[in-house]
Amino acid sequence: MTSVVRKLYAILRRDLLTAIRHRSGFALTFIGLLAQLTAFYCLSHAIGPSFRPNGVEYFPFLLVGTGLYTFFVMSTQAFLSTVQEAQQTGTMEVLMTTSTPPGELVILSSISAFAGNLVNLTVYLVAGVAVFRAAVHVNVVACLAVMFLSLAIALALGIAAATVQIAFQKGSALLWLMSSGLWFLSGAMFPVESLPGPLEVLAHLTPFNYAVQGMRSALLQGQSVFDLSSTLAALAGFSLLLLPLALGGLSFSMKRARQNGTLSFY
Amino acid sequence: MDQVVFESVHKVFRHRPALFNWLGWERRGESVALRDVSFSVSEGEVLVLLGPNGSGKTTMLKLTSTMLLPDEGSVRVAGFDTARDGGSVRRSIGIAVATERSFFPRLSARENLDFFATLDEVPPSERNRRIDEVLAGTALEEQADTLVMKFSSGMYQRLGIARALVKHPTVLLLDEPTRSLDAGSTAHFWTMLRSLARQRTTILLATHNFAEAVSIGDRLLLLQKGEILAQRSIGSGESFEELRSFYFRSTGEVDEAAPLSMRSGGTL
Repeated sequence: MTSVVRKLYAILRRDLLTAIRHRSGFALTFIGLLAQLTAFYCLSHAIGPSFRPNGVEYFPFLLVGTGLYTFFVMSTQAFLSTVQEAQQTGTMEVLMTTSTPPGELVILSSISAFAGNLVNLTVYLVAGVAVFRAAVHVNVVACLAVMFLSLAIALALGIAAATVQIAFQKGSALLWLMSSGLWFLSGAMFPVESLPGPLEVLAHLTPFNYAVQGMRSALLQGQSVFDLSSTLAALAGFSLLLLPLALGGLSFSMKRARQNGTLSFY
Repeated sequence: MDQVVFESVHKVFRHRPALFNWLGWERRGESVALRDVSFSVSEGEVLVLLGPNGSGKTTMLKLTSTMLLPDEGSVRVAGFDTARDGGSVRRSIGIAVATERSFFPRLSARENLDFFATLDEVPPSERNRRIDEVLAGTALEEQADTLVMKFSSGMYQRLGIARALVKHPTVLLLDEPTRSLDAGSTAHFWTMLRSLARQRTTILLATHNFAEAVSIGDRLLLLQKGEILAQRSIGSGESFEELRSFYFRSTGEVDEAAPLSMRSGGTL
């Protein structure tokens, strides 16, 4: 095992043990997922079968849209919480004096935060199909391609939240923007084509709409990687733009925090 | 070879009021933490940074560990500059910080040490042996599998020392390491430090406890308000009483032995 894999395993193990030992929190997460699914199932029934956004039934439309968007928000939140807790308990400064470079440590920690939420997303989608009978027509390769690029974007968002937290002690502002300020532009609950013109343009400038739409097409309509080439290209473009920006911002904010002595401020 | 070198180091902390602080009283300002500080520590030496609160001891340790970067001057550890080659510096140092609770509360002592040892790239084949070794060295063997959220202050402090030692650092940084330890644990710890120094580990220890400083240091750096007041080598001929009197007179600190001597003529 290489050193990086060993470190990733150590971080995953730490987070898993911490999650399992928070017994009530661990159980409540899954109860919350089922409650959310039930609410969306009832909502789709109340709206009726005639509403078929993008040509699919409303419940599977909601299932994929809310599942993936929640993944983005919760992954960023999980990662931000890790950084905030490290600042509050004092582990941040100690972690930054280990032999592991800070950038590597941040990326490995964010992968761990995403792994937990990837499990949640899988449970959410499987429960939607198995319990609530959502109709799916899966193209596995296309699903994996969309998920891979979505992970890269989620990684960039997580690192950006950590950067804002370290630089201004306000990573929660980015989280608020994602969870409350931008969710209606994501296409998670209704197609972005139904937004007023300027907002629809704005929706196309965020990566969420492409990720959500791409996953729906791959998971519900069985579209291939070739069919989704323009969506995948847009997601790849966002990844290539956001990841270096986030990493550069993190490196700058870490150096500034070391200079100003604010590494553990929260 | 000198393992730690400070050259004309200057460090200022600037306070910036929070954004939108129109209604608050917080004002912009700055405080000088270190002013033109130069010194060096040789291999296997125990240098004690002794001074009252706010004298710059912790800032010096943080600068040595790369937690902070100097505004002016340079800090070199094991030949590497902390600003230019932080990664090499971090591979050489082990630090026990004054923040006792800097651990993952829902992991056991052994799990915490294993986690930090992995990040410190301790070879897997040696990790368990080294963890057992430092747990024994800090008398935490019986609590090895207890979640650290159940630890007392003294146990946290001992675990902090164990964490600093598990990577076998060439430079060991300790910030008030015996603050929460009882007398027996403190004596055991001092013996352990002297043994590490004999094995060529360089040690920088920050304390405001005069008795601790003269008990384990090879050399004392007396600090006040970010400046080096004086340097004294232990065993250079100066008596402890002279040194004690010099320290408390120079810093204006209250001599912790004074209240005892005042009562020595009376009865309890």
